[in-house]
Amino acid sequence: MSKTRLAALFAVFLVAIAALAVAGCGGSDDSSSTGSETGASTEESGGGGEPLTVGSDIPYPPFEEGKPGEYTGFDIDLMDAIGERIGRTPEYTDTSFETIFRDVAQGKFEAVISAATITEEREQTVGFSDPYYLSEQAILVKEGSDITGLADLEGKVVAAQQGTTGLELGKEKANASELRPFPEGPDAVNALKAGTVEAVIIDAPVAQNAVEKSGGVEIAEKVPTEEEYGIALAKDNTQLLEEINKGLEEVIADGTYTTIYEKWFNLEPPKQFQG
Amino acid sequence: MSEFFHQYFDFNYMGEHFWEVLEAFLQNLVIFAVVAVLALSWGLLLALLRQLPGKKFVPVRFVTIAYIDLFRAIPILIVILLISGGIPFLEFIPKDIRIPHWFGKPDPFWYGVAALMLVYGAFTAEVYRAGIEAVPRGQMEAARSLGMSHWQAMRHVVVPQAVTLIPAPMLNELISLLKDTTLVSVIAFAESVLISRELLAQSFNSSAMILTAFFFILIILPMARVVDKLIARQQGKIARGSHIEVA
Repeated sequence: MSKTRLAALFAVFLVAIAALAVAGCGGSDDSSSTGSETGASTEESGGGGEPLTVGSDIPYPPFEEGKPGEYTGFDIDLMDAIGERIGRTPEYTDTSFETIFRDVAQGKFEAVISAATITEEREQTVGFSDPYYLSEQAILVKEGSDITGLADLEGKVVAAQQGTTGLELGKEKANASELRPFPEGPDAVNALKAGTVEAVIIDAPVAQNAVEKSGGVEIAEKVPTEEEYGIALAKDNTQLLEEINKGLEEVIADGTYTTIYEKWFNLEPPKQFQG
Repeated sequence: MSEFFHQYFDFNYMGEHFWEVLEAFLQNLVIFAVVAVLALSWGLLLALLRQLPGKKFVPVRFVTIAYIDLFRAIPILIVILLISGGIPFLEFIPKDIRIPHWFGKPDPFWYGVAALMLVYGAFTAEVYRAGIEAVPRGQMEAARSLGMSHWQAMRHVVVPQAVTLIPAPMLNELISLLKDTTLVSVIAFAESVLISRELLAQSFNSSAMILTAFFFILIILPMARVVDKLIARQQGKIARGSHIEVA
């Protein structure tokens, strides 16, 4: 008796799992069908061609955010616009930032758009497109903090995101008592709000986004870094690099860039990006 | 192929960063040691509370069972994130406890210790329970009939026999605890996986990860062999039907 009951329970358990799995598949079916719809619309606008595989470390708002299949953000919108110009619909893969350049170099995806700063070090591993964004770092602090900038970080517990230029800036110039490299940016901001760290050094737009959406935090100082973001590709993929550069040029020239920039940053883009 | 080996098995790179990675691995061992002591005690307490007899202890048993079920079900990563992200906001707790910096260790260390202790306390409680329930009821009954209280019988008769029955499953829990100490990297505590990934971010070389894995193998393989030995010994005893006479 108890054995049959156990078997029945187990059967119910299996059915439940199967139901969940089916529901899950249904969900992904939906997203793939919307994917093909957007593919069709690109074809109408003279595109077509095979999809362009793109890697990105998501979430990193406002550059990249959203759920699988419905990613959005400045990078994503820009990449979609470039994809439209070169006739290839981007397909995004969420991946981890510290392996992203290795992965694109190894061909796991064709391009990387992930708020990635062009550096000499990275250029040894990958090739970069023309810059598509100029960036600043921000010192993010709690509202009412007496930290007013980089110089005040001495002896403080400071957070940054692993593998980012914010972390490098912290190492070189902050003189903090402890510099904590969080694997994901939002966790660093969370630690700031919780009070376990006293400041976060992170890309200015990300900081701005945190100020607007989460509250309780403010930007103490913006530090210009002369950083330029680029789309990364495997070094030998020069043909795609040319196409992307040309697509980017068109997107800037016809004002699409300005529209996307204003949508995500509430700001006018720097002069060189105005059409 | 050579690129693969260069990426993951660059022995020069491992040599250059050997001490850095080892030092970080020691942090894993420190977390492990602290949590092992805490979780083994906490688990025993939970198991004993769960075994309390009679009607008046129904609420205690209920709460204990609910706790054990809950913490065995929630992924450890979530517990770590909830504790590190949640406790500091509870302002009625004094700041030294909310954001602990005890014994020169930063707060993420203690959040990790707390999370792992809460979870592994639940798992070890189940191992203790298996041991306690494997001791024949007659032992408890005999002890009670000699005038011992429930606690005295547990302390002097049942638990001493129970713990001789469970070293193998308990060591398995400890092995998995040692590996789970790497999860504390998610809240930026500088243990071996965080440092390996930091090195990866700097150099795009993954060999530090393999070095870290090697350190874990070095510690865990002997532990696994001990588990095998203990199981073999246990089965020998059971075969002779003598394990009950240990006490």
